[in-house]
Amino acid sequence: MSVTEYDVVIIGAGAAGLTTGALLAERGFNVALVTTGEPTACLSTGCIDVCSCDENPLTGIKNLPPEHPFHLVDEKTIRQSLNYFQTVMMDMGMPYAGSIEKNRSVVSALGTFKTSCLVPSTMEAAPQNNTDSIHIVTFKGIKDFYPGYIVSRRKNTNFSVFDAGVYSIMSIASRFEDKNFFERFIIWMDKLRIDEDKIALPAVAGLESASEIVNSIAVLMGKPVFEIPTIPPSMPGRRLFNALKKYFRKKGGAIYWAWPVVGTEKTGKLIEAVTTHSEGRPNSINARAFILGTGSFVGGGLTATRQDITENVFNLPVHISGPRETWFDNDYFSLNHGIGRAGIIVDSSMRPADSPWNNIFLCGGILAETEILKNGCGHGLALATAHAAAQSCAEYLSHEL
Amino acid sequence: MNYEHCIRCTICVENCPVFRVNPDFPGPKQAGPDAQRFRSEKEKAQDEWVFLCSQCKRCEMACPCGVEPAQIILREQQRYGKEHPQTATHLLFANNYYLSALGSLTAPLANKFASTETGKNILRKIGISTYIPFPKFSFRTMRQGKKNLNKGTKKVAFFYGCFINFYRPDIGRKIVRLLAAMNVDVVLPPQWCCGLPALGNGNLALAKYFAQKNASSLSDYIDAGYDIVYACTSCGLCILHDYPGIMEIPQGKKIAESSYNLHEYIIKLINEGYAKPEFGKVRRKIAYHIPCHLRALKIGYPAQKLMATIPGLECEIFDDTCCGLSGSYGFKENNEFTAIQIGNRAVSLIKKTGAKNIVADCGSCRMQLEGLSGITALDPAEILCESLNITNQK
Ligand SMILES: Cc1cc2nc3c(=O)[nH]c(=O)nc-3n(C[C@H](O)[C@H](O)[C@H](O)COP(=O)(O)OP(=O)(O)OC[C@H]3O[C@@H](n4cnc5c(N)ncnc54)[C@H](O)[C@@H]3O)c2cc1C
Ligand code: SF4
Ligand code: SF4
Ligand code: SF4
Repeated sequence: MSVTEYDVVIIGAGAAGLTTGALLAERGFNVALVTTGEPTACLSTGCIDVCSCDENPLTGIKNLPPEHPFHLVDEKTIRQSLNYFQTVMMDMGMPYAGSIEKNRSVVSALGTFKTSCLVPSTMEAAPQNNTDSIHIVTFKGIKDFYPGYIVSRRKNTNFSVFDAGVYSIMSIASRFEDKNFFERFIIWMDKLRIDEDKIALPAVAGLESASEIVNSIAVLMGKPVFEIPTIPPSMPGRRLFNALKKYFRKKGGAIYWAWPVVGTEKTGKLIEAVTTHSEGRPNSINARAFILGTGSFVGGGLTATRQDITENVFNLPVHISGPRETWFDNDYFSLNHGIGRAGIIVDSSMRPADSPWNNIFLCGGILAETEILKNGCGHGLALATAHAAAQSCAEYLSHEL
Repeated sequence: MNYEHCIRCTICVENCPVFRVNPDFPGPKQAGPDAQRFRSEKEKAQDEWVFLCSQCKRCEMACPCGVEPAQIILREQQRYGKEHPQTATHLLFANNYYLSALGSLTAPLANKFASTETGKNILRKIGISTYIPFPKFSFRTMRQGKKNLNKGTKKVAFFYGCFINFYRPDIGRKIVRLLAAMNVDVVLPPQWCCGLPALGNGNLALAKYFAQKNASSLSDYIDAGYDIVYACTSCGLCILHDYPGIMEIPQGKKIAESSYNLHEYIIKLINEGYAKPEFGKVRRKIAYHIPCHLRALKIGYPAQKLMATIPGLECEIFDDTCCGLSGSYGFKENNEFTAIQIGNRAVSLIKKTGAKNIVADCGSCRMQLEGLSGITALDPAEILCESLNITNQK
């Protein structure tokens, strides 16, 4: 459609893009979102990492290096962004537990503890230390979850195997939405006479209504039940994406799927439109402002070549600390790979620094100096910077009128 | 299409409606990029299960890396189809156009046949599923309908597609009136099946045969200053995506450039100031099922945009659910279970809304969803017509 006019076009359907979109739509702006595909949220555990460097995420953030983009967002906005997220998820039937002042643990598929801040209510009952005994219920033939890893790491842990008749995470999760399946599962589980303190399931307990399903199992079994996030495909990550997407839509946002932005139309200091390929005519969407939430390398916002790193939509200058030799550490599992600092530097209004554009605002994984892996700050940073970007963008749009 | 760009993230698998319900199908990642590494043009095509893919294209819409698993699978379906003898069902559905043409000439008889027990048994014998009523053939098809309804400067050649032509020409006539109400000159160009059913059954040669006939006809109209407008989203996708793509039709690109979805076209007319429809009240709650192929067209959801301007209309969008039928796919007996399972999920989500009608741009989606839910399914054009007070009576 050649002559479509919006107030704002969001590029990228990640936690950052969808949140900014919802915030701007709530303020009455006409918002569209274009995206190549689904975001990294679908690969994630669904847990909101804010900053895992300290027991208290807020203290952790204070101690981050001065160039970290978290410092562009004040504490009030950070608190607000997590409260907002919890309200949204409650509204979408997928409540999150946790507090901004204290990190908590979830049990990983390897039996280790993962530190996070807000966790889906289905993981709320996860043990915070090694004392609780656990009975894991897993599923026959499932390829992405091996209870053996956990049993080998934890004392007082046993497991049983249920035959769901299907063997992929997605198929089992959709079975859980079916009442008859659920009854069969409960009857089987009842016969196990589990006497451990807690019951664990790989995260396959449903798609739309996971939190109700886990609750019902806990009530029926009379014990705390929690999900263990699996390696991708990750249901909790998908639930998070689906809920944010649904909320954005509910607020009136429009989504254009499979629209990788490949070009832009500009005049002076303004981007006028973004364009994408389609089979017939090229599509172009006009807007007064643009939000860039295309993520880092996995999300598709950045591409690395032998020589350099490029930003794929507006060709913004990419900040890389040093030459290629410094991108990588010798140790593969190191958390200090220099490439984790690649991204776009922004000013306090979330506009790209060192570039002429007045009406682009950035948020999420595309930002420079995040070191998401090292600092454990993925979705949390995306949510906080989404609020900052939405705020600046809204001010710009109101002045511009 | 480049399978080497796959990062094995499994996002496509999570989006595949068939994989979710049918354990025999390995899913888009394995059937597409993974298996492609082991396929060689020098070896005979082995994987008969590629036909379990319904070509809904959801995997492609979700992939963050631009890999096109459905396209890889589609090519393998063609290769397999070419190297192996075609089964009766495949041939029958590939030739759906002739089947339908015959059916509509003898409509009352054919309908009776499809609804009797003996008829159903015969259909089942040749591998056609009978869980939802086989679509009723209609006596008076579009092609016998009238031409030029209105004189105006914009000229449209309407590609109505098989479904409207053989089963619901009344909707086709409404669409013609709708366009005429926008002051557009509408003609019905000579046309054949778009070729999609043949493609879905691995019969590239037959698909090309149909496509080339259409392309020659449509191309003449474009040269004479016509825009092409299609209503069925699957015909549209086939013309825009497969004519210039896998079918390598010489006029494909030119046709793709001048072809519009009906509602996309109406929005274009409104934006250009050419038409100023005044939408009247429609007091109704609808569930708008987005056909997978509308999503795959990458034009957004134009009908929803128009419907959003209709006062009184409450519309909830469903674009995460496939109806499961996928044209002839679900009518094949060995896909019946898959199709019903997929469809039931869509229906249960729709029923939760308490919507009075289901709306969908694709005839087969409507047939499936109405059949499984008992809720009347409408074309978005019917809602627009109601809002503009356009009826089929003069
Ligand atoms: C495997 C993995 C696991 C993770 N697990 C966790 C976790 O458990 N907890 C946590 O807090 N964080 C986790 N993270 C980090 C977290 O996912 C990200 O830091 C954060 O969500 C970034 O979100 P985003 O919205 O900025 O971008 P992304 O989620 O990267 O999304 C980018 C979006 O932009 C789109 N896009 C890209 N290029 C274009 C273009 N040219 N045109 C249009 N659209 C485009 C993409 O299709 C995608 O929709 C994980 C990351 C990965 C890779
Ligand atoms: S095809 Fe795309 S979505 Fe599927 S696994 Fe590969 S990269 Fe992921
Ligand atoms: S086209 Fe549809 S059915 Fe086929 S692999 Fe992709 S998602 Fe699955
Ligand atoms: S029939 Fe409709 S919903 Fe089903 S696969 Fe085709 S386009 Fe999608």
